[in-house]
Amino acid sequence: MGEKETFDVIGKPYPKKDARVKVTGNCRFGGDISVAGMLHGKLLRSPHAHARILNIDTSKAERLKGVRSVITGKDFPGIWYGNFMHTRDYLPLSIDRVRYIGEEVAAVAAVDEETAWEALDLIKVDYEPLPAVFDPEEAMKEGAPLLYDNKPGNISCISDWAFGDEGVEKAFAESYLVKENTFRTQSIKHGMLETHTCIGTWDSDGKITLESNKQSPYVAWRQLAMGLGIDPNRVRIKQTFIGAGNSGGKQEALAMDFAAVMLSKNTGKPVRIVHTMEEVLMMGHMRHAFKINMKIGVNKEGLIRAVDCLAIADGGAHSSIGQLSIYLMGAWMMIAYKIPNIRYKCSRVYTNKSFAGALRGHVVPQSRFAFEGVMDDIADELGLDHFEIRRRNAATPGYVAPNGFKITSCGFQEALQKAKDVSGWEKKKGKLPKYHGIGLGANGFISGGNIMGLSACSAMLKVQEDGTVALQTGATEVGQGCDTVLPMIVAEVLGIEPDDVSFALVDSDVTPVDGGTWGSRVTFYAGNAVKVAAMDARNQLSKVAAEILQAREEDLVFRKKKISVRNTEKSIELDRLVRLCQNKRGMSIMGRGYYNAPCGNLDFSTGKGNFSPAYSFYAMVTELEVDPETGQVEILGTWTAHDGGIELNPMLVRGQLIGSAIMHIGQTLFEGIIRDEKGKTLNTSFTDYKMATFMDIPKSQSLYSMHIVDPEGPFGAKEAGEGSSGPVIASIANAIKDAIGVRFLELPITPEKIVRAIRERERS
Amino acid sequence: MFRSLPRFEYLSPSKVEEAIGLLREHGNRVKVLAGGTDLIPMMKWGKVKAEVVVGLGGIREMGVMEFGPRKGLKLGALCRITDIEKSAVIRDHYPILSQAASVLASVEVRNRATVGGNLCNASPAADMAPSLLALDAKAVIASSKGERVIPLEAFFVGPGKTCLKQGELLVRLEVPAMGPRTGGEYIKLGIRKAMEISLVGAAAVVRVEGGKCEDARLALGSVAPKPMRAKKAEGVLKGKKVDQGVIAAAADAASKEASPITDIRGSEWYRREMVRVLSRRAIENALGKIKR
Amino acid sequence: MKQEIELKVNGQICEVEVEPWWTLVDVLRDHLHLTGTKKSCGEGDCGACTVLMDGEPVNSCLMLAIEARGKDITTIEGISQGGELHPIQEAFMKFGAVQCGFCTPGMIMATKALLDRNPNPSEEEIKKSLSGHLCRCTGYVQIIEAVTAAAEKMKTL
Repeated sequence: MGEKETFDVIGKPYPKKDARVKVTGNCRFGGDISVAGMLHGKLLRSPHAHARILNIDTSKAERLKGVRSVITGKDFPGIWYGNFMHTRDYLPLSIDRVRYIGEEVAAVAAVDEETAWEALDLIKVDYEPLPAVFDPEEAMKEGAPLLYDNKPGNISCISDWAFGDEGVEKAFAESYLVKENTFRTQSIKHGMLETHTCIGTWDSDGKITLESNKQSPYVAWRQLAMGLGIDPNRVRIKQTFIGAGNSGGKQEALAMDFAAVMLSKNTGKPVRIVHTMEEVLMMGHMRHAFKINMKIGVNKEGLIRAVDCLAIADGGAHSSIGQLSIYLMGAWMMIAYKIPNIRYKCSRVYTNKSFAGALRGHVVPQSRFAFEGVMDDIADELGLDHFEIRRRNAATPGYVAPNGFKITSCGFQEALQKAKDVSGWEKKKGKLPKYHGIGLGANGFISGGNIMGLSACSAMLKVQEDGTVALQTGATEVGQGCDTVLPMIVAEVLGIEPDDVSFALVDSDVTPVDGGTWGSRVTFYAGNAVKVAAMDARNQLSKVAAEILQAREEDLVFRKKKISVRNTEKSIELDRLVRLCQNKRGMSIMGRGYYNAPCGNLDFSTGKGNFSPAYSFYAMVTELEVDPETGQVEILGTWTAHDGGIELNPMLVRGQLIGSAIMHIGQTLFEGIIRDEKGKTLNTSFTDYKMATFMDIPKSQSLYSMHIVDPEGPFGAKEAGEGSSGPVIASIANAIKDAIGVRFLELPITPEKIVRAIRERERS
Repeated sequence: MFRSLPRFEYLSPSKVEEAIGLLREHGNRVKVLAGGTDLIPMMKWGKVKAEVVVGLGGIREMGVMEFGPRKGLKLGALCRITDIEKSAVIRDHYPILSQAASVLASVEVRNRATVGGNLCNASPAADMAPSLLALDAKAVIASSKGERVIPLEAFFVGPGKTCLKQGELLVRLEVPAMGPRTGGEYIKLGIRKAMEISLVGAAAVVRVEGGKCEDARLALGSVAPKPMRAKKAEGVLKGKKVDQGVIAAAADAASKEASPITDIRGSEWYRREMVRVLSRRAIENALGKIKR
Repeated sequence: MKQEIELKVNGQICEVEVEPWWTLVDVLRDHLHLTGTKKSCGEGDCGACTVLMDGEPVNSCLMLAIEARGKDITTIEGISQGGELHPIQEAFMKFGAVQCGFCTPGMIMATKALLDRNPNPSEEEIKKSLSGHLCRCTGYVQIIEAVTAAAEKMKTL
């Protein structure tokens, strides 16, 4: 169908459809579900960072009154599972070795939680401690303790590629100015308030049902089958409401999931396991900590000639999705600015620590912290304004990066200009009082990406006899609003209201298969699939309506729950039409659609290929004030201009941008996992794992959309959820540099570090 | 490890004597529960164990707050932090206490936490301690032998340790009236701007007559094994004409007499430096609050 | 040793047998099946379990159920009447204050306590009053806007 000039639904600030059940407390998260006869499971975790398991004696625990089953790694077939072929290094429960403090070694099911806890104390594990390694660079050295015997140098995976006709050496040699710096970023957690939760049921048919808060249920589905050594058809993942995901542990099958289903098999009862927040904070899945050496060469005009980036990612004890994470560190550089020559190498290294994986914005905040920092320093040395150097280098529509990224719609220049104008940059930069600063950060992001395996999205919908629609997709609502935006797309196509469209939670036995909810892909990929499905239903309805109304299909208009013939009085109500289809012709109206992005697939081994069907762009200015005596930072204002295409629901887009900003203010200034020298996480509670509170938000935040239509996105949309994480750290770090004259190279930039830096600067 | 609460027996006396009897009877198997906002998490973490928990909530007399311009404030140990924060009497006569109460954790915690509980946990970071020390508060301790009154300073013995012996209960605090020409200020520093356990806390109460400091008390939190008075700093102020130089010298002295440690919240160096900054600011603000 | 206690929850007297070490949040959720009150950090750092006790917000994870005897408890299930949402609930929906929704019940309960006491809070007062509530999704701004709008609405009722 040709796009309408104006929309009835798209672009309106519809409240989230699930808000009603959430404000009334009716919505059922995993931990809210209890099943008759259900048992309660708990996991025993390793107190050692690295040890051999010599023996596990569960007999005492089994004899405790109320205990129904105790299992260990030996109850599973011993199949390694995981994401990519070469990085499958998870076991359901450890069998003969533990690799970090918190790794799961045994599990218990009992009649209540108290008994399950008590049973854990009665499990006796004989460990033989092994030498452990915590620093990635130490771990890479010859002679370092190995986490996996088949992974020399503790290398979990590598991303190594170079592009450009000239090659970086020549381009650096010809550069007018070359600057480099080494940046370090910390591990942060997803910080969702709802911990991982599951209810496992292994029924007498051998069918395994896992009710859980999975963000990418089909990833967990495949992994569960893989680790159990069974066909996926025997596994059913039923999604509960999800109390935030931000990727990580809710993406994959966890030890708790395996334990719950195996304990259910042994007991014949459903088994529920709910992690405590301590468990969440001590265990795996967190943002990768990186060491990033960033070298950028420019010509006299500040145009980038070459980039050389050498990075080391602290992987912790397992690989998770790390192969993708380390590719992304380099990939993000290829979106924002035109880089003719680049060399990128990142090693992801195993250490005896809780492991790293994906987290909202997947490496873009770290990548921009380094890149944008060096860009500012180059601009300062060239005497160029920070906006000007970015404007000169910014990607433009139609640009094809040397690695194969194809920029299509691109409002980066416009976003930069807007951020500059609205922030009052001209009159503030260099003119603010002492200890006040203003800084800029910019980035690009993907609107979903094609990686190996299934990357497509699909949708199915039924148009029902009352004119409403039941929509099913494989997309996951984690709070971002796809429960609303996807129904809005259906409503726009069929001329109904979003309230007329229901949105189903994923059930792997029922709803369409899906690549998962990550990479800001849902609006774009699932949105397009939903649009195709809605069009499919509409075409079916149009055929019948055209007959009834004696009109041509192309003259039919779907609006206001009616199908009318353009420029006539003739019309039929949608519900009536559906009933006619059903009752007179036996046609139940079911639309079906899938979206396979036309960008091709990425080759991880070479880093070549086009990643995403559309790229989004951000420019953010932060103004802040530093208390030079205490080092505390007060963010006075932020101005973010973004090209995320057309905003399908501006209220929800705003929620994404602000939410992302606050999350990353925390990462910039205070948040992070703190460990001792033996690999033990010290801040395993929200008392000391500090996330931003109401009081930590900027005094004002302004957002500006560039309103540029993306030709491929559903109704012109791109993304909003993750790219918005990109500029935050960079812009705050750059503003702190402006305020106190110090370039911080390590996150978080705590008050203490600021005071030290100011003192050192005053001394020198 | 963080778990659900372990099993215990719960007793709820309605009189102080009854509570004391229970404390004597159960000896070191017992823990006293006031608001529970510290005790319950500590029990969930397994850091505190108790077979018997004595809930004080039913002891009305311990929740009483009384003020007289001469005799000062009697603050029952069970007065909630919210009661202190909201009390008009305290706002008028001990604004520093309202200030301290208002920065303790969250509204929800303040609605349960009590001043007695905050002090009895003897955390070096206890938010109520520095202001009460700076106000020269006395602790009234009841036992089967009757009541004894000690300076609050002597109440704290070390991290998590008070001078309470078996069978003793902190029943109230007695806070002298602040008197004329006196100002007080509590400043708390955290890494983020709310929900913080203080990284450094500083409370100053200063009396100035004719430009001269007649009396000064400075108390610090989170920079020693227990909440402490910075007496050398006080000595620097007392009897002097208060100017920037004297204030800076006092803050310097405070910084020197503090004995902070390095932990995950901050380093010894930073805490010591912040004692200097916060002490100066607290003294300055206290001076600024003296009614002319 | 289990003890039968009476709890007044959302206006109804409920008789429940509790162990003394059970916290209020567990009794509300597991025994009275009022799962609208959420359990997250378990130690008063996140606010998700907030309920009203005699009109004041408290962390139900930090309270023994036995100590709630004789108190008037209100949970999220108790603030909408006869299918009519409370204006705070309406405002949270309308102003985008809800994303994943896990913090929402606690946030709404604390807001109710705030507005019942202070019908006209400033932005600073809203932030301070709610600062014991973590939200990882919204970045708080739309919650503040919802609270402000709810306050306006409630003044007209």
